[in-house]
Amino acid sequence: MVVDPKLSLDWSSDTPVSPLVERYSQIRLKQEGDSWFLVLPNQSELEGKSSWSELWQELKHYLQGREKSWQPRTSVSLLAQDQLLDVQQLQTLAEILEEAELCLETVVTTRRQTAVAAATGGYCVEQNKLSQLSLTPGLDTTTTLAEPLYFNQTVRSGIELRHEGSIIIFGDLNPGGLAIAVGDIFVWGRLRGLAHAGAKGNRKARIMALQMEFTQLRIADLVARSPKFPPKTDQSEVAFIAGSGICLAKAVDFAKTHKFSEQYGIWIDR
Amino acid sequence: MSRIIVVTSGKGGVGKTTVTSNLGAALAKLNRKVALVDADFGLRNLDLLLGLEERVVYTAIDVLAGECRLAQALVKDKRLNGLFLLPAAQNRNKESVSPEDMKKITNALAKGYDYIIIDSPAGIELGFRNAICSAQEALIITTPEIAAVRDADRVIGLLEAEGIHKIYLIVNRVKPKMVEDNKMMSVDDVLELLAIPLMGVIPDDERVIIATNKGEPLVMGDEDYIPTQAFMNIAKRLEGEKVPFIDLLSEQDNIISRLRRMFGG
Repeated sequence: MVVDPKLSLDWSSDTPVSPLVERYSQIRLKQEGDSWFLVLPNQSELEGKSSWSELWQELKHYLQGREKSWQPRTSVSLLAQDQLLDVQQLQTLAEILEEAELCLETVVTTRRQTAVAAATGGYCVEQNKLSQLSLTPGLDTTTTLAEPLYFNQTVRSGIELRHEGSIIIFGDLNPGGLAIAVGDIFVWGRLRGLAHAGAKGNRKARIMALQMEFTQLRIADLVARSPKFPPKTDQSEVAFIAGSGICLAKAVDFAKTHKFSEQYGIWIDR
Repeated sequence: MSRIIVVTSGKGGVGKTTVTSNLGAALAKLNRKVALVDADFGLRNLDLLLGLEERVVYTAIDVLAGECRLAQALVKDKRLNGLFLLPAAQNRNKESVSPEDMKKITNALAKGYDYIIIDSPAGIELGFRNAICSAQEALIITTPEIAAVRDADRVIGLLEAEGIHKIYLIVNRVKPKMVEDNKMMSVDDVLELLAIPLMGVIPDDERVIIATNKGEPLVMGDEDYIPTQAFMNIAKRLEGEKVPFIDLLSEQDNIISRLRRMFGG
């Protein structure tokens, strides 16, 4: 399905703008019990966003930076959703996983063609199993958060980290880099790029950094850009939603001085 | 064991080709056998900077098409023993070569040369992918400007994703006076952002441009110039030698600025 974008210059036009929080999809690796799953975005999520080569690039960055909590040669099931994959693409995917010492074993898909390709490539195939798994996006995401994502590298320009839980970066988030988390974001370094916490609308989400030099911060559906002349401080800071929008405070005291008001959906002084 | 090094930057016009030609000459001066590979198909420049344009007979495309042997396409530099150039085709574009083609060429060169230095085109499209696909190491060239540094950061990310982890930085066209006056990013600022090891700092100098226009790498001329020394130092550092960085500011010192500093001004 291809959507024809409305290229209107008319500001007053009431074309609905898709909220930031919904532009959200990424290939991701999940653990359930002893099994590991690689989840591909489904076709509607991927739409217009990226070509396969971009998706592979994203996966490589993700696997390299991610804390390796699996044993070498761990087998992985691919949840291919409704994506059409050919033998070549499955091969590429298997090679990328191989580099991270993961081994592609099973392909779970709702598409017949993908199932045929997977069988040709010598992988186990499971069809239509998706509905029974809690892993389908949309089912588990609204209520529970995924395990935090530990990222052990600098997030450089052009790299996008997206995660269904909180993101912890050991390194800098450089300008041009992007971190989007459904939960909180912690940057153990300099935050100079763009961070979006509470990406599914959680106004309670916070962004913490040892040094805040961001280009833009987003929490839930609010956006804050950096001041023209940011005040220099050596303190680590936390960004949160207050009555006037996104605010910064000293991170050390935050837990003592602020609490979240469910009633107003903002952080208030204790 | 030969080393395959790609010289790349993301942004154009920061000095990739200038660095490639001078570094090649500097390594040849250190008695290494060096093959410079121009990967900028369709916009080749490396032969110009080396002053070898009129001696190009065959190009990499001819080699791949089987129209000549690799050895025939290599242009030998007569001024320096051990320096060779594999020219790119000017009448083709980037799509005429694939990563597999580049691998074939560099692997063949690796059998006979100590260093294979690949001059990458600007950008991050196919031409860039061709240039990096067989490299084991990368030299990132940037100037102290935010756009160049941002693109360098992007390129480092791409190289890391491709499994190239030996990545070194060269900061080109530094103006010490402007840095001192806080009008230009310092090398430290650049390093802090990019977080990769520094391989060299090259000052902005009009002699670099003059040498480029003459088609004679600066390194082949007078050794006393600071930019020449900077290039020689990069070559020595690549060879594993510990060479201290040149204090660019002190080189520009004159009585007045020294007095000013003495009185805390």
